[in-house]
Amino acid sequence: MKLLTTTALVLVGATGVMAQDLPGKFDGVTVQAKLIGGQQYEALYARIAEWEAATGAKVDVISKKNHFELDREIKSDIATGQLGWCVGSNHSSFAPQYPGIYADLRALLPAEALADFVPATLDAATLEDKLVMLPRAQFDVSAVYYQKSLYEDEANKIAFKEKLGYDLAPPYTWDQLADQAKFFANPPDFYGTQYAGKEEAIAGRFYEMLLSNGGEFLDAEGKPAFNSEAGAATLQWFVDLYKAGAVPSGVPNYLWDDLGQGFASGTVAIDHDWPGWMGFFNDPASSKIAGNVGVAPPPKGSSGARSGWSGFHGFSVTEDCATPEAAASLVWFLTNEDSQKLESGAGPLPTRNAVWDHIIAEAASDPYRAEALAAFQVAAQGAYPVPRTPSWIEITNVVYPELQAAILGDKSVEDALNAAAEEATQVLEDAGEL
Amino acid sequence: MKPWRLSPHILLLLPAVLVLLAVVILPLILSFWSSLTPFRLTRPDSIYDFVGLRNYARLMGDGQFWSAFGRTVLLLTVALNLEMLLGLGLALLIERASRGQRILRTLLMFPMMFSPVLVGFQFKFMFNDNVGLVNNALQSLGLTNSAIPWLIDQHLAFFSIVVAEIWSSTSVFAIFILAGLMAMPRDPLEAARVDGCTPWQTFRFVTWPFLMPFAFIAMTIRSLDVARAYDIIKIMTDGGPARRTEVLWTLIARTGYADSKMGMANAMAYVAILLSILFTVIFFRKLAQSREQIAAEW
Repeated sequence: MKLLTTTALVLVGATGVMAQDLPGKFDGVTVQAKLIGGQQYEALYARIAEWEAATGAKVDVISKKNHFELDREIKSDIATGQLGWCVGSNHSSFAPQYPGIYADLRALLPAEALADFVPATLDAATLEDKLVMLPRAQFDVSAVYYQKSLYEDEANKIAFKEKLGYDLAPPYTWDQLADQAKFFANPPDFYGTQYAGKEEAIAGRFYEMLLSNGGEFLDAEGKPAFNSEAGAATLQWFVDLYKAGAVPSGVPNYLWDDLGQGFASGTVAIDHDWPGWMGFFNDPASSKIAGNVGVAPPPKGSSGARSGWSGFHGFSVTEDCATPEAAASLVWFLTNEDSQKLESGAGPLPTRNAVWDHIIAEAASDPYRAEALAAFQVAAQGAYPVPRTPSWIEITNVVYPELQAAILGDKSVEDALNAAAEEATQVLEDAGEL
Repeated sequence: MKPWRLSPHILLLLPAVLVLLAVVILPLILSFWSSLTPFRLTRPDSIYDFVGLRNYARLMGDGQFWSAFGRTVLLLTVALNLEMLLGLGLALLIERASRGQRILRTLLMFPMMFSPVLVGFQFKFMFNDNVGLVNNALQSLGLTNSAIPWLIDQHLAFFSIVVAEIWSSTSVFAIFILAGLMAMPRDPLEAARVDGCTPWQTFRFVTWPFLMPFAFIAMTIRSLDVARAYDIIKIMTDGGPARRTEVLWTLIARTGYADSKMGMANAMAYVAILLSILFTVIFFRKLAQSREQIAAEW
């Protein structure tokens, strides 16, 4: 019996914190954290005080920036070997660049703490067989927001049918979205749609539309394959909308905030955008179109598949952290059921099954939210992450100026895609991936 | 045998030498070394892989780099000349003011107190095609009914950046030139007037030669500033769209931090420094010439 007890103790010791009771006790421990900053994330961070009270530990937030800036800071930390901080915000698009610096959370947390997460999301957070982050309720996949009144207007219905030959209804395909955007546009006062036109934002949109049109971004061998017929058709979609004046002329400089503010200002008919804007668009305090917003699933491409570029935020624990148990406890706390209920209450999508059930039940009395969640659920079913290469961000940095060059008419679609593919190939060769 | 000791003058200089070594020489050596390696931030060990001048050789044939280089030279030339003309005009006007000169001088320095990042945001908003002040003003005045893409069109984007640069830094020229005007002896001006010189002749042959050293000092300082232009452009256009407003330091920052290619970024930076050195040498030569001229004539 004594032997059994000793063996059990040894096993518990060997698995270390695997059996820790969450959130645990960590009196006197200070956990340094680098977090994504922004108003929409602050509600969750207010819960850190609860974790501190429960565990006796302290959290020292040493950096709070957007993910692009955080990414640069983390790269500098890697270069200078300063990875002693413990918890970092992570993102599925950035994570493949530095899987080596983060600890395997499966070794730090009990299995039951991970049981409720949507399995596909946990798979996407697993790199080189390590669960490098726990996803928070910031799962991103886009759907189509539109101004309902435009689609209900009888004059619009008749004029559209006469001009395009089919009934006016929220877009089911990317071609329909383009038709409707051109139909509604009346620049400079009103635009049919808009897109973020730089950095990973346009490269990501191009990527998901390319896939929905039956193309490939990287082929089976990992070589750039987007300079194809499907690639040309996809890029032409962006070019045509820009040439037709259906999007604001400033879109090549737009990022996500510009899109959200633009649609909320009531000057844009259709906005293919993230779930984080769900509450914002329908709130009279922030949006001129509150009460007039409809949400439809992402459109389908010529292959019949919907677009579904997705990403999610999460929290990671560094390998160099001196107190990984405390750090893992904090990461678990910030992604547990209560935290996800809090975050998803404002619109963002959860990554836990129980929280999905909760928000759907809660939305039963709110037709707008129910419609939006239904649309995003369809989107989530067909969602996929960015190509799993550490060079993804670097590739987007060489691809997006070429996409812009085609949109602005500096280059033909074919020339731009060939130049982008050539540069992306060089990036992959330099990184030793080809 | 006498114990070996450092002589006092070396001992006294040692702290300064050590500080210089630590904060200037060592980082310079390290960054130069990294420019001879394929150093990537995400692969710290790559700093030990010596590749000789490969990064520099690649740069020689890199069209994007040389476009950014040329654009930086163009920005330097246009911004510096316009800032000098406007600064000279402002200084001459303020020097004429018989009342409130101190308040005017303080007001003149206001733009310099703004962080370049804030200036960038301010002008980015003003030149926004959809909700920007400029387009709204032009549309309200009936001068246009289209949304002018200030930050998108190749020439307009360059113009918008130049406007922001000029707004934030013309006062550097104005203050240096004003200092020159205030230090200028009155006798030659009166002599010119007595000799029947027109105001233009007085300015051209008396005032301007005296002001030239001040203008060249301002030129040198601003040329170093503009050759390192980053913050305002980063905020307004980030070198885009389609690399239309890419200058050296937006390219270098992207290469170093977003793409993690710090070795290549350092090689770019060393070539970029040549530009700063070139302009500094030109302006110092001009400065020396103008001082010799003043010494000979006055």
